[in-house]
Amino acid sequence: MNTQVNLDSAYVPSEDIVAREIEGELIIVPLVSGIGDMEDELYTLNDTGKAVWEKLDRQKSLKDIAKELTEEFEAPEGEIQKDVVGLVQELVKRKMVVEVSVKNEK
Amino acid sequence: MKSEKLSNEISLSGPALVELLRAVLDKGMPFRFQAKGASMSPFIKDGDVIIVSPLSGALPRRGDVVAFTHPQTQSLVVHRIVAKKGDCFIIKGDNTSNTGDLILKANILGCVTRVKRDGKKIFMGLGPERFLIALLTRRGLLFPLLYPLKRMLGPIIRRLAI
Repeated sequence: MNTQVNLDSAYVPSEDIVAREIEGELIIVPLVSGIGDMEDELYTLNDTGKAVWEKLDRQKSLKDIAKELTEEFEAPEGEIQKDVVGLVQELVKRKMVVEVSVKNEK
Repeated sequence: MKSEKLSNEISLSGPALVELLRAVLDKGMPFRFQAKGASMSPFIKDGDVIIVSPLSGALPRRGDVVAFTHPQTQSLVVHRIVAKKGDCFIIKGDNTSNTGDLILKANILGCVTRVKRDGKKIFMGLGPERFLIALLTRRGLLFPLLYPLKRMLGPIIRRLAI
């Protein structure tokens, strides 16, 4: 399966997951075969993963998200971009996010 | 910022489990998780995997095993509806000696539609017999009747299974 992600694309949470922030932790339940399954796979993202997740919407490309996080975390943009791509690749592989075209509201 | 990985192996209980269960059921999907405790034994035992399905507008009925939030503790409880009283349901564990809890429909999250023990489906307790179980549970007669029956029929069932 091709899990290449495009820096100029936007990614949004898939319809096939349920994500909730519980006690400060983001928990993702994949709805595998139409069932929410606590016995199989349940995922959490740590604080920085959560920061990326919260920015995933139709308005922002991964490049925009990396830029915003660069300012927030005061870290080199290249490093942040690599981390964002790595995480989103993982999320795409697990079908937790889907690629959409950036909806520019400007 | 360091590289992020998805981490697995999360154990949830209490309000966290309630919130996730509610979120999944709200999407119209069933939710599978492991039951804890012996209050529904022998029909649901500690460690059994149960599937809770959304009510989808239907009114739960006597005998149904339902997942609900306890009004006092806000914890998730899976017990059987033994009677209806006004706008509320009397819900009680099959293996409990109390009189049950008076629960509003709004507190009922979903209905148990499947039970699996050691990978095998358990049919007893969710079929038409659930009405009789509810009746006996309410009157506290389930165990006085069940155990002599189990002692009598157990060896025969075991022999047939070989």
